[in-house]
Amino acid sequence: MLKLQDLTKAYRTDEVETVALNNVNIEIEHGEFVAIMGPSGCGKSTLLNIIGMLDTPTSGHYFFQDEDVAGYSEAQLGVIRKQHIGFIFQSFNLIDELSVAENIELALLYHDIPASERKERVAAVMDKVGIAHRAKHMPSQLSGGQQQRVAVARAVVGNQSMILADEPTGNLDTAHGQEVMEMLQQLNEEGTTIVMVTHSPSHADYARRTINLLDGHVVTESMRA
Amino acid sequence: MLLTNYFVSAWRNIYKHKLFSAINILGLAIGLASCILIALFVRDEISYDKFWSNADNMYRVHLTFNVPGRDPMKLAMAPGPVIHAWKKDFPQVTHASRLSQREPTVIIGDRYFVDDITLVDPDFPEIFDLNAVSGDLTNAFIGFDNIVLNETLANKYFGSKQAVGQIITLDFGSFQRDYNVAAVIKDMPKNSQVIPKALITIDEPAWKEQPWMFDAWFSTNAQLYFKLSDTTNIESINRELPAFVNRNFPKIPIGGDNVKNSDLIIMSTMNVKDLHLAPSRDGEYQDRGNKNTVMIFATVATLILIIAAINFMNLSTARASQRAKEVSLRKVMGASRKDLIVQFLGESVLLTFFGLLIALAIVEIALPKYNEILDKTFSIDYGSSDVLYIIILAISVGILGGSYPAFFLSHFRPAENLKANKSAETKASVKLRYALVILQFSVSITLFVSTAVVYGQMLYAKNMDLGYNTDNVLAVHEISRDVVQKKLPLLVEEIKRMPNVSAVTWSDFTPGRANQNNTIVHVEGQSNEDGILIGSRGIGYDYFNAYDVPIIAGREYSRERGDRDVSTDDLRNGINYTGSIMINESAIGRLGLGSPQEAVGKLIFAGAGQPEENLTATYEIIGVVPDIHFDSLKSTIRPEIYEIHADYGNAISARFSGDPEELVENVRRLWEQEIPSIPFDYSFIREAVARQYNAEQGQANMFAAFSALAILIACLGLYGLASFTADRRTKEIGIRKVMGASVFDVVKLLVWQFSKPVIIANLIAWPISYYAMSIWLENFVYRIEAFFIIGFCLLAGIAALLIAWGTVAGNSVRVASANPINALRYE
Repeated sequence: MLKLQDLTKAYRTDEVETVALNNVNIEIEHGEFVAIMGPSGCGKSTLLNIIGMLDTPTSGHYFFQDEDVAGYSEAQLGVIRKQHIGFIFQSFNLIDELSVAENIELALLYHDIPASERKERVAAVMDKVGIAHRAKHMPSQLSGGQQQRVAVARAVVGNQSMILADEPTGNLDTAHGQEVMEMLQQLNEEGTTIVMVTHSPSHADYARRTINLLDGHVVTESMRA
Repeated sequence: MLLTNYFVSAWRNIYKHKLFSAINILGLAIGLASCILIALFVRDEISYDKFWSNADNMYRVHLTFNVPGRDPMKLAMAPGPVIHAWKKDFPQVTHASRLSQREPTVIIGDRYFVDDITLVDPDFPEIFDLNAVSGDLTNAFIGFDNIVLNETLANKYFGSKQAVGQIITLDFGSFQRDYNVAAVIKDMPKNSQVIPKALITIDEPAWKEQPWMFDAWFSTNAQLYFKLSDTTNIESINRELPAFVNRNFPKIPIGGDNVKNSDLIIMSTMNVKDLHLAPSRDGEYQDRGNKNTVMIFATVATLILIIAAINFMNLSTARASQRAKEVSLRKVMGASRKDLIVQFLGESVLLTFFGLLIALAIVEIALPKYNEILDKTFSIDYGSSDVLYIIILAISVGILGGSYPAFFLSHFRPAENLKANKSAETKASVKLRYALVILQFSVSITLFVSTAVVYGQMLYAKNMDLGYNTDNVLAVHEISRDVVQKKLPLLVEEIKRMPNVSAVTWSDFTPGRANQNNTIVHVEGQSNEDGILIGSRGIGYDYFNAYDVPIIAGREYSRERGDRDVSTDDLRNGINYTGSIMINESAIGRLGLGSPQEAVGKLIFAGAGQPEENLTATYEIIGVVPDIHFDSLKSTIRPEIYEIHADYGNAISARFSGDPEELVENVRRLWEQEIPSIPFDYSFIREAVARQYNAEQGQANMFAAFSALAILIACLGLYGLASFTADRRTKEIGIRKVMGASVFDVVKLLVWQFSKPVIIANLIAWPISYYAMSIWLENFVYRIEAFFIIGFCLLAGIAALLIAWGTVAGNSVRVASANPINALRYE
């Protein structure tokens, strides 16, 4: 699905250069569930942002479905991103002024999909994540777990082949965290590639492979039996 | 201490939020500057003739001729003999004086000048305040050989020499007399309808050769002012006026016995303080103001200030969330709501004062140009109460703009704002902001449309086919003076011979300089009493050729064919003959003479001399011309006859091609050689005609400038609001971008957000503009069609949208291009 080759990301301020990722080589197959772990500041989020094409590497190659996207412009990346990648954030990032259904629909809005089809797909995905009865509610009226379920629905409604989750359970209690993890697992079993950044070893256990980062390097990779 | 803290906090807030402060200060500065400039104009307009010590009791007599079938002739003047009857019939009048402005040749030694000299009656200084600089005013108006000069004229004639005691010769044409300078007075204030430069006393017997000047009941050449005793009400005179007319005026020979003079002649009085803003009448000596204009500008000033204040409200509440924390902290530290309101109001007043400083700088920079446009000498006197008014203005604006934000910001509850990242925005405050933006743009669009209509009308009036060609005609004035009159044939012939001159003619009027002469005319089979009042103008040979007027039927006057006018003296001496006459289309219509072709060859009869003489001149129509707008377009076309004045006139007109300056130089040389005693005076007809609309042009420019400023301030506000809103929506934009929205999608979203209020504003502004401007257009006899207003509305709508988009788009692109991860990573 994707392959990172000698990937480096450096942030440059006036005088100091901070290397967030240093010569990272990672390959992720289609249908994998990968967890990325590591202490704060190790470059997890940077890695996820680059994989999600929200950020571009300083050097190295990023092959997405055999296409080297490392040098692509923001607009080019946007096109690939909206077709293939869904996002789930720790802080849910729902738009406060839009209802649950409208928030989910947002992921289809920029895809040239007719309104009637959008409605059907939104309804279907709300059923799937068990949020249909809340369709007209505003995000502020939902619990954290419900909000994250809306975010998951939004991430998959466009039939994205890969979901990037940045600490999806970080703002949730244990029970709700569990719920979200099971949902991701189910999606993975249905064929969606999932890359997740997490601090929680127990949630990392849902993944079949764990990549540990430290100071911008991949230190270990472990496969679940 | 607390005050220092407020001040420091206010200053830091202003300094820290540079965009916010800059927009507010700049908006307020432009708003205040506009307001001050307009206030100077309005104050001047309403100050006219209020400074006279007798102002409350000073009146002018007005006369309106209600001519059947025509626009009434509204005169600022009264016939010469009225003054004597007035003083006799109304004992409550303590003083009365006529005022007649003449342009005699002023001769001082071997030097010649042409200046306005005002002829008055001895009561004049009892009515109007005069301030003597030198000499003595007590005897200045006794006898008929004293002259009083203002400082400007005294200086012009005598320089640094003592003017009092000098001798000045005035040549009025019919007589010439030496005058002794009795006193020099201060120049009269400009905000007056009475601004004489030099004064002499009317000597009626000296004018016996020109009885129409002061001795004719149906000729008006002087205004009449009077002073009422302190104890009487003007109504006591007003209600007597119809009886006064019937008692004193000779019977007008129109309509027979059942038409009384008071049906045709309406006399009225007007207090001097009201003169300037009342509708202009024929025979004014000074330009009139316009009440509507004053009201309109006062409104515009208020609207501009409101727009600037709205900016302040909107921007303050928009960034309320940024200040919510400060409010909460202050409250936790013990500040009451009142303390906070005082603090925020203080801040807005402080901002307004920064704006005021810039505003005063703008005013000082703009004043010279402003004065030039309006032909005024406005200035701000920093040592007077002006300063107080300006400060009160600034404080009012500061409080007006600061009150809502102050109450809004101070209501935050500390617990809510300190705890979470909850937005301090409420739906109500967002809605109010939208409503205010809609209000701003409604006002701006209305001003835009109004400006467009005013300009459209100006352009229409300027380019309207007047019926004659104003281009490339040089007019040479002062021809009526005795010395010049004798040389008229010579001047005409010499100018004709000059290179590039195609036609030369003369006339007793020049287009663009109002001059009303009227005659009662009737056709065969009617008596004098059935006649209608028709305008009459005197012209020379070749006149219509020179002015490019086509002859519809018949022909123009020709010396060869022996066309001649009917001389009143011949009639008095019993010599009767048929003269030639040219006539316009309206006149043949009013006289019922059929088609222009049918009219040619028919006879008409015109009253001559004074009505009481009962003289009738007979004319044969030799030519018909179309209706021509020789007068301002503010008046309708009137029926007119054109008499041939074979050897006299007031001005020579020459049609030329090529370099106008060269012709002027040639004519000047000729003039100075032939008539060295009279200064050469010329004008171009095109400019003279355009000058009639100078005041309107100046006011239109002023209106346009202030409308543009109003729109600019509204846009400044929109820019600020857009940038704050875009910042506030950063997270949303980030999410949308992650969901696949392109930069264009986001810009579209933000721009549309601000298009909505502008579109709604259009829907509000259009009907208002349409209604208001249709009414305004009704002031003009010849005006653009009302559907043009609709066009201007659409234009304004598109312009407003484009301006709004341009204002918002820059910000939107910046925010839309930002990398979404910055917005999404941390809350």
